[in-house]
Amino acid sequence: MAANRLPVLKGTLDLLVLRALSWTPMHGFEIVSWLERAASSALDLDDSALYQAVYRLEARGLLEADWGVTENNRRARYYKLTTAGRTYLRTETKNWMQYAETVTTILTAAKDGLPSTSPAT
Amino acid sequence: MIRRGIQRAFNLAIRRRDRWQHDVEEEIKLHLSLRAEQLMAEGAAPNDALAEAVRRFGPLAESRARMLDAARYREHRMQRTEYFAQLQQDLSFAFRTLRRQKAWALITVFTLALGIGATTAVFSVVSSLILHAIAYPNADRIVVVQQMPTQGNNTGLHIQITPSTPIVNGWRSRTRAFEELEPYRSVGLLLKTNDDPLPVNATEILPSFLSFTGSRAIVGRMFSAQGIETKAQVALLSEGLWRERYGSAANIAGKTITLGDSLYTIVGVLPADLRLPIIGRDRVDVWLPLDLRNSNLGVNVIGRLRPGATIPAATQELNAIAAEVEAASSAKSPFVTLIRRPAELMDFHDSLIMLAGAVALVLLVACANVAHLFMARATTRERELAVRAALGASQGRLFRQLLTESLVLALAGAIGGVALGWFGLKAIIALRPPQMPQLESIRLDSTTLAIALGAGVLSGVVFGVIGAFQARRSPQDVLKAGALSTSHSRGQGMLRSALVVSEMALTAALVIGATLLVRTVVNLQRANLGFEPKNLYWVSISLPEKPFATAASRAAFYNEFVARFRTTPHVRELAFTSNPPGTRSFAVGTFEIQGEAPTSTGSGTSFVDNNNIDENYLKTMRIPIVEGTFFTDTSRAANQVLVNAGFAHSHWPPGGSLGKRVRVAYRGEGDWSTIVGVAADAQTTGAGIISTAPYLYSPIRTPARQTTIMVRTDATVDLAGPVRTLVKSIDPSVRTPKVESTEAFIERTIAKPRFTMSLLTTFTLLGLTLAAVGLYGVMAYSVAQRTREIGIRMALGASQRTIANSVLRRGVMLAGLGAAIGLAGAFYGTRLIATLLYGVAPIDAVSFATGAIVLIVTAVVACVVPTRRALAVDPIRAIRAD
Repeated sequence: MAANRLPVLKGTLDLLVLRALSWTPMHGFEIVSWLERAASSALDLDDSALYQAVYRLEARGLLEADWGVTENNRRARYYKLTTAGRTYLRTETKNWMQYAETVTTILTAAKDGLPSTSPAT
Repeated sequence: MIRRGIQRAFNLAIRRRDRWQHDVEEEIKLHLSLRAEQLMAEGAAPNDALAEAVRRFGPLAESRARMLDAARYREHRMQRTEYFAQLQQDLSFAFRTLRRQKAWALITVFTLALGIGATTAVFSVVSSLILHAIAYPNADRIVVVQQMPTQGNNTGLHIQITPSTPIVNGWRSRTRAFEELEPYRSVGLLLKTNDDPLPVNATEILPSFLSFTGSRAIVGRMFSAQGIETKAQVALLSEGLWRERYGSAANIAGKTITLGDSLYTIVGVLPADLRLPIIGRDRVDVWLPLDLRNSNLGVNVIGRLRPGATIPAATQELNAIAAEVEAASSAKSPFVTLIRRPAELMDFHDSLIMLAGAVALVLLVACANVAHLFMARATTRERELAVRAALGASQGRLFRQLLTESLVLALAGAIGGVALGWFGLKAIIALRPPQMPQLESIRLDSTTLAIALGAGVLSGVVFGVIGAFQARRSPQDVLKAGALSTSHSRGQGMLRSALVVSEMALTAALVIGATLLVRTVVNLQRANLGFEPKNLYWVSISLPEKPFATAASRAAFYNEFVARFRTTPHVRELAFTSNPPGTRSFAVGTFEIQGEAPTSTGSGTSFVDNNNIDENYLKTMRIPIVEGTFFTDTSRAANQVLVNAGFAHSHWPPGGSLGKRVRVAYRGEGDWSTIVGVAADAQTTGAGIISTAPYLYSPIRTPARQTTIMVRTDATVDLAGPVRTLVKSIDPSVRTPKVESTEAFIERTIAKPRFTMSLLTTFTLLGLTLAAVGLYGVMAYSVAQRTREIGIRMALGASQRTIANSVLRRGVMLAGLGAAIGLAGAFYGTRLIATLLYGVAPIDAVSFATGAIVLIVTAVVACVVPTRRALAVDPIRAIRAD
């Protein structure tokens, strides 16, 4: 089963966490669950890696945290995006899309450098 | 159950941790239990679920360490950000609050600035004239060594004697208390120039003087000890003379100059900052070698004590050595060693100490004022602070905010104070008496600045703490009191009254001191000197040695001079004297009256005032003869003298002195003189106490090379030109005589007391203003507090008069109490300034009454506005409010 899972590329986890928090503040386990649901368990990731990412983002001022209470009345640390975090998410998402697109284009290109979508001769 | 298991599984220590560490642990625990619950909901067994949750979490210890690191970093960053945000908030809040209370803030800053400014200016003077009187290395161990008469000094002057060279040689070779003893000797010489010879101040020193003073030649070199032994005629110029007369020529060494009748070779130039140890002396122009083998000289001595050596021990040692030296030469001198710090030799010392004390009082008044300005404000802000505390501001936060406000004020005050101090010092320098050129070079010194700034910051902290301390009342109490003015503890009212009373007391003392000095100056100006200084001048003639060696040649010169000078316009009378105004000369020995036992016991030496005069002197000076006659026979054989009335009348009944024989006996010998007349007391050295000590007038017999001619004119005239022309036409080799005005001289003798008086008066006015502001503040506050009460009284029919009286009574009572304490303090304090007074006793009824009256009047003035405010209270509104 692990063999089918995709390792998370360096730097992308931050982006995923920010994305997760772009709708609503969440606590750590909610972020994990959201990622698992969104990626249909396709990502190979220790839970602790996510926490480290969250802490890193908080230290950089992209997230801020406050203690709150879960639906089941447990104390949990809720994270939300700061303005800086929102801006960061927007620009980095754009960068990532361009990057992914470029890499995809290159990987799928024909020998003469033209994309494979162009008609072959 | 599961949670307990998790706790065990990670062996989380149960101990007190920092909050952020605790947060991390709690977050991990929550995650694991939520994951386990999720797995159990999917059907896993509890134990398996827990194990799986841990597995999915990944390397626990490592992650935890990383998370803790990140959390710590985050925490510190947050604290820092928060700190600066709060500081910024505090500062902007402080400025906002202060802008809202402009008048209050201005008064506070101004009060601090006045206190700090006055202190800075005066302490800069104290620092440079007293604390740093001398710039030599190890200045704290430098002392001036002199001798003084053991007894018999009834001249009213401090008489210092420069020790003789044999004694100094003995001291130098045998002392253990001193590291070094440096002799020097100042002489006035004439420097030959193309024009009139230039009088210069020459000082003879040993080569070691330079290392003693930590100085070195800026051009050329110091002369050597061998040079002194071979009596080399060498000289060093002062930097000042070198620049002014020799255009700073770099090749000056090797040139020659003529001083007096001798030719000297210049070997170098010494820097301008090399000064003699006694402040107030003229600068030195030329430095010459001192020959200690000449046993007829008296020399000044300055020494550096060994570390740990005390002045009394050193005095004892030098006395013992001097006794040994004298025993060897079989001469017994009646002198003892006198060792003093250089600052004590400055004659402005006492005045300066007094001014420093006065300015310290002003600073105290300023501090008391600032203290109750802060207290008054703290109470008006009590509600604001209480509301903020109720809204969740922590005590620490409020404390910090009040502290920031007071620090901002204190710094503003300190900066203002330094500026005022700078201007004040400029003013002091501009007003300095002509005899105090040393004031000119005084700058604000860095120590004083640091202390002033420190005082500002400290007062900010202290007053901030006072404010914060008052804000400590629990918010509930304050808010519960409702909109009615908040209740104030009696203690606080007492404290504020006590502050005002002490301000008033300090100010009363200042007013009394200032009045005493004002009366002193007035007395000095009005003093009956016993002679008429108006239109009285004197000409100091100094004939060169060579052509005037004989009495006949001198008499010829003087006769011609007087004969021709008499015909000069406006010149009415001329008279010869040995003592021009401002100088005294003494016969050394024991004063004896024939047929009476000597008054001083033992071999004590006294100094008897002596003035050699010609037949015109008393008439010219307008000094009447009150008993007997003038000299009827000026011959040496007749040996007639006149005495002063102060002495004659204290010793004999009227007329009893005539015919009595007196003498000044030195070692038991001396000719007897006969008293033929008594002259009225004349204070020719400026106003002083009428002396009952003998003052002898003897006939001038042989005209000396140096003499003084008193000139009575019938108008204010400039005699310098005519005198110069006259002297040069008689003999061109005679130096142009100096002509001085007695009126100007008398004026100069008052300059220093007047200077001290104007400074003290200024400080007193400052103190008075500050105290008035303080009283005004307290009264205005108390009226504001009593608005309701006053309203009720008015409604019940109290008259305006009653209301006004109730306000005034309190103000005057506070001032009166302060004045009483101040008067009591002054009763003991003014005797400290007794030496600065003339014609007025330290316990002077007029001055004390002035102190009390000025204070009461100030109090009434300070109460005018609060009283009018009280009268303007509208009873209906005052009662209805709240």
